[in-house]
Amino acid sequence: MKHEYPATLLLPAPVVKWLAAVGRVARVTAEHAGELGLLAWRILVAIVRLKVSRREITTQLYIMGVQSLPIVFVTASLAGIVTSQQGGYQLISSSPQYVLGTLVVQSVILELAPLLTAIVLVGRIGARITAELGTMVVSEQIDAFESLGRDPVAILAAPRFIAGVITLPLLVGFADVIGIAAGMIAANLTIGLGNETFIYGARLFWHNWDLVYGLSKSIVFGAAIPLISVHMGLRTRGGAEGVGLSTTQAVMFMILTILILDAMFPPLMLQ
Amino acid sequence: MITYRDIHKSFDAPVLSGVDMVVETGEMFALFGPSGTGKSVLLKTTIGLVVPDRGDVEIDGLSVSESDPVALLKLRSKVGYVFQHSALFDSLTVLDNVAMGLPEDTLQRLSTAEKARRVWEALETVNLEPAEVLSKIPSELSGGMKKRVGIARAIVGGPKILLWDEPTTGLDPVNTAAVERLIKRLSKELEVTSLLVTHDVEGGLDICDRVAMLDGGIIRFCGTPLEFRACPDPVVQAFVDRAAAEAALDMVTDTYV
Repeated sequence: MKHEYPATLLLPAPVVKWLAAVGRVARVTAEHAGELGLLAWRILVAIVRLKVSRREITTQLYIMGVQSLPIVFVTASLAGIVTSQQGGYQLISSSPQYVLGTLVVQSVILELAPLLTAIVLVGRIGARITAELGTMVVSEQIDAFESLGRDPVAILAAPRFIAGVITLPLLVGFADVIGIAAGMIAANLTIGLGNETFIYGARLFWHNWDLVYGLSKSIVFGAAIPLISVHMGLRTRGGAEGVGLSTTQAVMFMILTILILDAMFPPLMLQ
Repeated sequence: MITYRDIHKSFDAPVLSGVDMVVETGEMFALFGPSGTGKSVLLKTTIGLVVPDRGDVEIDGLSVSESDPVALLKLRSKVGYVFQHSALFDSLTVLDNVAMGLPEDTLQRLSTAEKARRVWEALETVNLEPAEVLSKIPSELSGGMKKRVGIARAIVGGPKILLWDEPTTGLDPVNTAAVERLIKRLSKELEVTSLLVTHDVEGGLDICDRVAMLDGGIIRFCGTPLEFRACPDPVVQAFVDRAAAEAALDMVTDTYV
């Protein structure tokens, strides 16, 4: 709907339009924040009241976890290989070669494994959840749950949330191992760095906290992906076009949220 | 008895602007109206699927909008809702879909055999062959079968009220007539209060005790089918004429095209 602005306003029209746009964005942001908070609360209540089906959690763990292993394997391998090759290229003439072990391990554990695994899950799981729930909204299946006295949040949202929080740290742990192993092999094949030297470099600057940091990130990402995707799915309106639109918006929303959360971690946990 | 009091609801524009309507216990009531006038929205307010901006719905004296979640759950267990496009759960078999119509606590108490027996009975009531459909998923059913499974799900819990949202939409004339006969039979056999939202005016007039017409966000007419046909209101007359013309066109299209 096109808005008309009162002629009595003293501000120039472009400024008024800009202010109106800012107001709209603020309103939509507040709406999303409120609805996300409410959804998180309802999920928590369903979990505390033990209303969540264990069979559904198992199904979601399989879909999110086991079925994601191949793509996580490929992504983590390539991340490790590329980091190792580029690191080797940059360090070979300026630093001791064992530093490459430090570089690969730190990069994979602190940043690449959690971030890339989360991005992969956004595409593989987040989009799927939004499209699935959006379709259920437009085909009135969500209304049907409610009309039958069932809570769609307990049935659909809570199992996906629990599975996300459990799955992502496990997948990130898997990605850590694969990424580091791939980096070590690549270092050996490209600059001839021995495995012992690579491991020596990795252990020299090893902090257990780095592992806690990477896994903490993955838990937060693992909660954010199902929460946002379910929220966007349940907000879907209209028909097939509405499902497409909310899925696209959900993917953008999830990627942006993950990048913002990722940027918030160093000041919070690496000081 | 279902009482609608001054129901207002807006989405982008006002849809319902003060609906007052009473559906008496045990009667079969049809609600007509042009497309987009908020018939389904009004039906959804009955069990709180849509919350009115103003006004209230009462079922047997119990306010829907003032009910807490537990009371609303209890209230919904008395009501069977048949959705326009069946709204069957894609990933569940017909057995599990229909069993979802049983209250949650009942379902947890029942043995597998007892659950299957109740579902079997409900499917037989809607003239489906249980052995054929029980293990199928919704995508393996025809449109008419999906409607019947949706009806079985609505009646399996033994409701006191049945809400029908365009139950004949998308069906051919043969299936439409069969579903209308089924609605009439079930309403009598189960001794329920039925509120039928439909675009099929002739069908609704044939099977209902009273009818109402929603137009411009308010109830334009409420009375018996005979009174409806004889109503002098030009808006009602125009609607009846247009509905008759559309029905004739549908029949010609189904016969020759």
